[in-house]
Amino acid sequence: MLNCDAMRDKLRKWREDNSRNSEQIVDVGEELISDHASKLGDDVWIIYEQVMIAALDCSRDDLALTCLQELRKQFPDSHRVKRLTGMRLEALERYDEANKHYDAILEDDPTNTAARKRKISILKAQGKNGEAIRELNEYLEQFVGDQEAWHELSELYINEHDYGKAAFCLEELMMTNPHNHLYCEQYAEVKYTQGGLENLELSRKYFSQALRLNNRNMRALFGLYMSASHIAASPKVSAKVKKDNIKYAAWAANQINRAYKVSICKQHSDILKTTSFT
Amino acid sequence: MGEVELSCRAYVKMYLHACLFPRCSVNGLLLSSSSSAGGAVCVTDCVPLLHSHLSLAPITQLALTQVDVWCSQTQQRIVGYYQANACTSDSSPTPCALKIADKIAEQFDGAVLLMLDGSKMSPDYRVPPIVMYERKDSRWTLKDKHTIMLRQWEEIRDVASQMLDSGDHSLLVDFDSHLDDITRDWTNQKLNSKIAELCSPVNGNI
Repeated sequence: MLNCDAMRDKLRKWREDNSRNSEQIVDVGEELISDHASKLGDDVWIIYEQVMIAALDCSRDDLALTCLQELRKQFPDSHRVKRLTGMRLEALERYDEANKHYDAILEDDPTNTAARKRKISILKAQGKNGEAIRELNEYLEQFVGDQEAWHELSELYINEHDYGKAAFCLEELMMTNPHNHLYCEQYAEVKYTQGGLENLELSRKYFSQALRLNNRNMRALFGLYMSASHIAASPKVSAKVKKDNIKYAAWAANQINRAYKVSICKQHSDILKTTSFT
Repeated sequence: MGEVELSCRAYVKMYLHACLFPRCSVNGLLLSSSSSAGGAVCVTDCVPLLHSHLSLAPITQLALTQVDVWCSQTQQRIVGYYQANACTSDSSPTPCALKIADKIAEQFDGAVLLMLDGSKMSPDYRVPPIVMYERKDSRWTLKDKHTIMLRQWEEIRDVASQMLDSGDHSLLVDFDSHLDDITRDWTNQKLNSKIAELCSPVNGNI
């Protein structure tokens, strides 16, 4: 059993990391609220919000409603609480009512990004990917610096197999986050999927870049091996390009084998020996 | 086409995979350890693959290769593909599901494509929440329900629920998770043992 402070710290950490470990948040949060609400001071309101959202994620409408009612009592005219009301309606799949709440917020405050994003989430939940993409593009014209939105858009494009546009979104993200190895690696995966020699070479370059930023990114390592192998096997490349890519692939294979030898799964370290390329 | 039987182990792992990532689309491969007798396919195991970017090529290709090699070392073969969509209102196969299933069908004639129907996955559901497709005239068509067998469905369903309730789904490792931490075993030997303990009084062949 954790004490009040420890539980509080956990919740704070999860808020800061923006983790979606909703089951854990509900576990810790429910206990904290029911046994220690009076000791939390002003923190209690942000905790109610955090637990409410986690409760919706776990279909705990009882808990979500309890939190929401406390927040409504304390902040009766708040847009932030209105958005939470909308989210609860979304969880209950009452999308029309939820949209009404968000539209009301936007009439009052057209710059309210949270309400706009919820409306887009509803479209996504309803499987209306095309519309969600349109709305998100419009949103990004106004709020061009919203990283979360660019990433969401790249995911939507990937789901629709529109790899060119997904790549564009990831390029935006790489520009503003040059040290993020995950964006480089995702971009490389999209390029690889698009196929063709030029895209393969780009993908190899970005897998390498991801590795420079984080040399333990296994996806990037495998990606480098695979893209370099495919380039080397292509009849369209010069002898020099072929030779270089064989070198890159061999290096990657070596790194992969070392990583696996270090790990416990010995069975996998033999797999690459069975793969060959000309 | 022939009959398809789904073992306890295969069903439970697919189910737990979908439950582990309720907000994502997940997919995996269906395996068989027995040679098909009289056109009947017995799916004895499955390998959970991805829970992100299902339609991107590199990791899927990598996973297919690695599972292929493992199968040849363990006298198994890839006989099908499963997927559970994030959006539970739509359980139809996506283009990438069809693509991967096509690839599997190139190597195995009786390949099956299995979609988990998220809207039917509550613990007391009377029928298995699965929709199966087979290849007829180069198209994936719905399989006749009477050719799909799940021996002792209620017991299997109860095993799956029990494991979900006790949090065992967190033990499941898919290929994506393996790439995040390569010490984790995507063949799920530990989970297989747990399932065997719970399933064995129920199912003759696991």
